[in-house]
Amino acid sequence: MSADDAPEPAGTTESGSESDAPATESGSESDAPATEPVSESGDSPTDAEVSAGTDHALGGDAILRIRDLDAGYGDLQILSDVVLDVADEEYVTIVGPNGAGKSTVMKTVFGLTTHMGGTVEFEGEPIHGLAPEQIIREGIGFVPQNDNVFPGLSVRENLEMGAYILDEVPEAQIETIYDRFPILRERSEQKAGTLSGGQRQMVAMGRALMLDPDLLLLDEPSAGLAPDLVDDMFDRIDRINDSGTAVLMVEQNAKEALRRCDRGYVLVNGGNRYTDRGDVLLADEDVRRDFLGG
Amino acid sequence: MGTTDSSIVDAARARPGLLFAVLLGGLLLVDLAAKLGGVGLGPIGGSVSVDRLGSNLWNGVVIGLVIGLAGIGLSMTYSILSFANFSHGDLVSAGAFTGWGVAFLIAGFGDVPVRALLTVRDAGSASPGDVGAHILSTPGAILVGLVAAFVVTSLLAVALDRAFYKPMRDRDGISLLIASIGAALIVRYLLQFGYGSDRRGVTASVEQSNLAFGPLGVSVNAHELTILVAAVGLMVAMHAMLQHTKLGTAMRAMADNKDLALITGIPAERVVTATWIIGGGLAGASGYLYVLLRGTIQFDFGWLLLLLIFAAVILGGIGSVYGAIVGGLVIGVVFTTSTIWIPSDFNQAAAFAVMILMLLLRPEGLFGGVSTA
Repeated sequence: MSADDAPEPAGTTESGSESDAPATESGSESDAPATEPVSESGDSPTDAEVSAGTDHALGGDAILRIRDLDAGYGDLQILSDVVLDVADEEYVTIVGPNGAGKSTVMKTVFGLTTHMGGTVEFEGEPIHGLAPEQIIREGIGFVPQNDNVFPGLSVRENLEMGAYILDEVPEAQIETIYDRFPILRERSEQKAGTLSGGQRQMVAMGRALMLDPDLLLLDEPSAGLAPDLVDDMFDRIDRINDSGTAVLMVEQNAKEALRRCDRGYVLVNGGNRYTDRGDVLLADEDVRRDFLGG
Repeated sequence: MGTTDSSIVDAARARPGLLFAVLLGGLLLVDLAAKLGGVGLGPIGGSVSVDRLGSNLWNGVVIGLVIGLAGIGLSMTYSILSFANFSHGDLVSAGAFTGWGVAFLIAGFGDVPVRALLTVRDAGSASPGDVGAHILSTPGAILVGLVAAFVVTSLLAVALDRAFYKPMRDRDGISLLIASIGAALIVRYLLQFGYGSDRRGVTASVEQSNLAFGPLGVSVNAHELTILVAAVGLMVAMHAMLQHTKLGTAMRAMADNKDLALITGIPAERVVTATWIIGGGLAGASGYLYVLLRGTIQFDFGWLLLLLIFAAVILGGIGSVYGAIVGGLVIGVVFTTSTIWIPSDFNQAAAFAVMILMLLLRPEGLFGGVSTA
């Protein structure tokens, strides 16, 4: 879907500092909410010119640290030399054209692809090669894009499955999730398959939050939602992040995602292109032209 | 009125099969009423006693419960492992032989050589009367035999999974189906090797075993009642397990969406093993109960029964446990009541005709698409 507003990148230079595109419109985004600079290369957006950074690694501590990652499906390699960091409690989004490997990054973190090289470390421990069941235990939750609820199970049973690896059903955590998504408390005994798209997305997020993960992976959370629900969904993600859970998100709605996140990664053809604060990426002329539809 | 007529006509045009089924069903009901009333109108009518109809229905329910019980496992392996398991019928046979071997050992120990007991009277080495296995005379032996049938068959099912299906876990359903036909042949001929190929009587006859007489004048014998209690008990236990335990919920989750189950952290292999234990165990128990009903045993009876089990599962909506139970009851009742209209040699054909009709009218089956597992 993002193909519509993200045409094939043409002639973008590897280094953002060499950006020589006319910066006529870049000022319009300079009033984007300034987030705490996390990236080392986080040039402040100026009226004159904005250049997105290409320093993909984070300087300080990162809970998720991906280095030179090669991965794909079977013999088909999708990612090459991907570098990506997520700091504690950070909100990071991945944007890029269709086929750039955005979702593959997430699936690889979660052990769902073929690992071909490089490392994925979570909280200092290498996790590449682990099975999803083990990765959940490490403290990562994953909300896939499609079919992310068990339609034949009730809302409550969906949540309980999210804590399968625990011996006891964590009632307190279910209450926390019901407080976060009150509609789910009302629909507790209803089969998830009968819920609306937005409610299903809440069930899916609730399930992924059952173990109170340190990092939540969200694959296209706004896909398939009615337009008036998209903002609400982003607000909920903000609140999940505000309560201390780091978020790594792939999103088709790239502008909104970059506006909300702390940092963004632009992926092209399975590799890194730009990395910077969300507002800087939004303001960068090349990024806007090539990936955000102008 | 005009609009109503045309909408009926439209519906009939759109779904001629439904019209045909409704007409045929109506005709059979009118005919049945005429038969019960003893009215003969040319080709329709005749005479059927209420007693006969009642006992046909009762027999149909009992056979249907056994078929439904066997169908649960078939439906579970279909929904959780995504293949039609053709070795299921031979698990039914295996449960019958091993269970009855244990029941015989307990019932006839001391009176009859152990080898003859464990092989369920291979080569006619003792008469059923010598062993004396009957729910009224040796209830303990019958019950322990049922448990043994469940346990041994579930172990066999897990062993078959480890040997054949687990190495092929990510292959497509057709490959697994063909492998299961091979497994079926192995089990069947191992049974023939171990227990012989004769059809022979199993249960002893006990006087006064017709316990009750229902309101329709139906005679209910003690073994039928045993089957009713055991099958319904196992089905209720199955329902409770599926709906109210963590394992059951995980099974339904895996039937719903295997990829998501993996992402959620449900240990797939453990759920698969539990599926074989429960599905295989129920197959073994149903085979044991089938022999209790028929009174005879033969090494390939489960294979012959498998077609009816498949018919029941497909009728109910393959993948649904509750569909398998209801489908089993429908197939069982059609199987026995069809003899009112057609020779009993053709009653299997009637059961399959109903299944085909169901596939034409509602391809997803009775419970298909409603709820998995």
